[in-house]
Amino acid sequence: MTQPLHIEAVSAHYGTTRVLEDLSLSVQAGELVSLLGASGCGKTTTLRLIAGFLSPTSGSITLGGRDLTRLPTHKRDIGLVFQNYALFPHLSVLDNVAFGLKQRGIAADERRRRAMAMLDRVGLSVLADRAPGALSGGQKQRVALARALVIEPPLLMFDEPLSNLDAKLRVDMRVEIRQLQRANGTTSVYVTHDQEEAFSISDRVAIMNAGRLMQFDRPEVLYRRPANTFVARFVGFENVIPFQVVARDGDMVTAETAGMRLGLSQSLYGTIPDAFLLATRPDGLTVSSDAAADGLPARLGLRTYLGRAYQYQCETAAGHLVANGSLTAPLQAGARVKLVPVPEQCTILAAGGDE
Amino acid sequence: MTARRFWRRNGATGWALTAPATLAVVAFLIVPIGAVIAGTFMDPRGVFAPYISYFNSGFRTTVLFRTLQISAFTTVISLIFGFMTAYVVSRAPGKVKSLLIVAAVFPLLTGVVVRAFAWLIILGRNGILNQALLALGIVNEPLEMLYTQGAVIVGMVYLFVPLMVLSLVGVLENIPKDVLQASSSLGASPMATFWQVLLPLAVPGLIVGAVLVFTGSFTAYATPQLLGGERQTVLATLLQQRAMVSFDWVGASTIAAIMTVITISIVLAMSHVARRINPMAT
Amino acid sequence: MSDRPHPLLIVIAALVYLFLMVPLVIVVGAALSDTTYLTFPPQGLSLRWFENIFQISAFRRTIVTSLQIAFLGTLIALLIGIPAAYALNRFRVELPKWLGTLFLLPILVPEIVFGFALLKSLTVGTGAPIFLALLIGHTLIVLPYVVRVISASLASFDFSIEEAAISLGSAPVKTFFTIVLPNVRGGVIAAFILAFITSLNDVSVSLFLTGPGISTLPIQILAHVEQFFDPTVASVSVLLMVLTVAVMAIVERTLGLTFLAK
Repeated sequence: MTQPLHIEAVSAHYGTTRVLEDLSLSVQAGELVSLLGASGCGKTTTLRLIAGFLSPTSGSITLGGRDLTRLPTHKRDIGLVFQNYALFPHLSVLDNVAFGLKQRGIAADERRRRAMAMLDRVGLSVLADRAPGALSGGQKQRVALARALVIEPPLLMFDEPLSNLDAKLRVDMRVEIRQLQRANGTTSVYVTHDQEEAFSISDRVAIMNAGRLMQFDRPEVLYRRPANTFVARFVGFENVIPFQVVARDGDMVTAETAGMRLGLSQSLYGTIPDAFLLATRPDGLTVSSDAAADGLPARLGLRTYLGRAYQYQCETAAGHLVANGSLTAPLQAGARVKLVPVPEQCTILAAGGDE
Repeated sequence: MTARRFWRRNGATGWALTAPATLAVVAFLIVPIGAVIAGTFMDPRGVFAPYISYFNSGFRTTVLFRTLQISAFTTVISLIFGFMTAYVVSRAPGKVKSLLIVAAVFPLLTGVVVRAFAWLIILGRNGILNQALLALGIVNEPLEMLYTQGAVIVGMVYLFVPLMVLSLVGVLENIPKDVLQASSSLGASPMATFWQVLLPLAVPGLIVGAVLVFTGSFTAYATPQLLGGERQTVLATLLQQRAMVSFDWVGASTIAAIMTVITISIVLAMSHVARRINPMAT
Repeated sequence: MSDRPHPLLIVIAALVYLFLMVPLVIVVGAALSDTTYLTFPPQGLSLRWFENIFQISAFRRTIVTSLQIAFLGTLIALLIGIPAAYALNRFRVELPKWLGTLFLLPILVPEIVFGFALLKSLTVGTGAPIFLALLIGHTLIVLPYVVRVISASLASFDFSIEEAAISLGSAPVKTFFTIVLPNVRGGVIAAFILAFITSLNDVSVSLFLTGPGISTLPIQILAHVEQFFDPTVASVSVLLMVLTVAVMAIVERTLGLTFLAK
């Protein structure tokens, strides 16, 4: 029942604008993969291509060895959960869930039994006879989920399913979705623009930008070792500082940027090229008022309160940076300080990036 | 400060602003029509005398049933062809769609007299259709097409199909795309999606369209007058004759009352039905 | 896209459009004919029937009357309809629902009944001049279009803009003219055009409100058709169509035609 999905070298156009460029992506059987990116990045286009609402201009899509590329939607056998739920307003909750079974020629009794069982699993069997219009947002999305799951599709797809729900419900629902998906072991594609949602729910995440795949990996890897400056900035590495290697001594590399020298261990970062970018989150730069500290000279600007720390806007010779400082010793705007990188919280990117 | 007081939301301003239009409708529409209807119950021969004499006249009951029949045929034909056309228009790509909408708006903005007149040229004894049929040798002598019930129905369908198309395009476009996509993602063939999702969701709109066409053709004057003549007298043409030719004010008022009651009851009943079965309402 | 309609449906839709267009083409053809009887395709092109319209004094007179009535009726309907539409939207909560339906009554009741009722109570009952009765009748039958179209554009108007203007010190009446009205300009233009054309084409109400020397163009056309079967009526029809096309072109320029489809 669970099958792998392969997208190979797919391109798509809306009229003459290319919206997807040469995308290749494989989802293993039983895996949940998120497509993550800002609007217009191509994630929804990818989903619509897999569903068959759009045709690719080139490339192929296969599901468990079946070529879907030219197949009409209703023959693809895919469960789809929509952003706006897309429940049938003229059918009861039960008939909504049973709709796909009816299309598969399953007898009325059996349909009812299976649909009720599925409604039971999402905790809505008491609402079986209601009209969908009378349900809350969270209930509607559960019905939509039940409707997609009950046909036991080899592939489940979610199109920003939680974006119309309030924050608290969103967190509960994503846990619920993940549990149901795990229990059924259904291969799943999940489209979202919410990074936290994608990272928390997925086995792997594909970060997309301008119709191209930027990086495709486990959330832990994306979070700690982004492959390029786009992904780095996307996952919160706000500071990107260019460095030049000046000396190498075995594992140790000495590099410098305007006003600062830094020793880096290749065992921590892998091979370091001669020109590279050091990327850190605001937490990865320590604000030190010790003039003798080994760090980047900076002049503090606006201070904001984050609850767990103070955040400083800093002007340096390497440009504008953001650093977090301790709550116990707030510093004033205009103070001259040193910004000291925390090695474990930094990552190295190849210079001459892709932005 | 005066501004605040002026706009205080007590509705008085609202009433004041609607007053001229309200007065106009009440004084020139409700009162006169009310007077016409009330007048029919003040006949010296008895309260229902005008209605009794109306329904005792074989000719007049025939006219009533003919009018209902013509309206029913017109409604059904316009509904079927209007729906199919609206479906195609709503699925057409952007540019073509606007062109098709313009092409439906144009006849709608052309007067009823002009549109009935066009069919006079086509269906006449020496009209284009007869000329064509004779030339092709399909008939030996011209057909009598004018002044038949068929001619009136064709003229009426011609009158109301554009209206039906435009209102149904609106209805179909209001059905969310993702609901139809959900249907096909669940394995419904295009046919199944049409019958199980699209059509049920369009029913309220179809009812509204049907009411528009039925009441419109039930009260139409110019088309039956030109294409049906005296042989196909309908309520509207009968009303005009009674009032302007025979000066039979009571008879005319009775017809007016019957038309008003039937029209208003159909509108009320159907809008009630449409609201009850409208799944999009909640 | 996989949702292209069945070919048979496309064929039917094409036939429906043919059915809609052909009669109008025939009218144009007949108007251009050089013959003294109605025929199609035209035999010998000529504009003589267009000249003939203006030779017949009844046509000259009724064209003027129709334009006067349509213009004045639409103007009065706008004058009383715009405040009503504004109030219906602005005071949605305070005003009862039936008030909105009240303004639709002129198109809900049979027009021909309305015309007859006006004849009976106004012309015969009070002896009001025919022109006045005609004007009142036309004002009322176009009122629903005015109220509906302007309500539709006010429905998408954000009234907090108006409140913002008043909070900045603009007087309410002035705010209506400087803030509200400019933002629903499109609706006002559309309402004017729709009302004008509706009035110009009206038969059922005018039918009873004609008298010695006063009639409207559609009534005159009806009378003419019943007596003569020459191309004059075809050319009047073409004249009206040209007017309609001109109006549609203006709408297209200013608002886009899909506006009328609502």
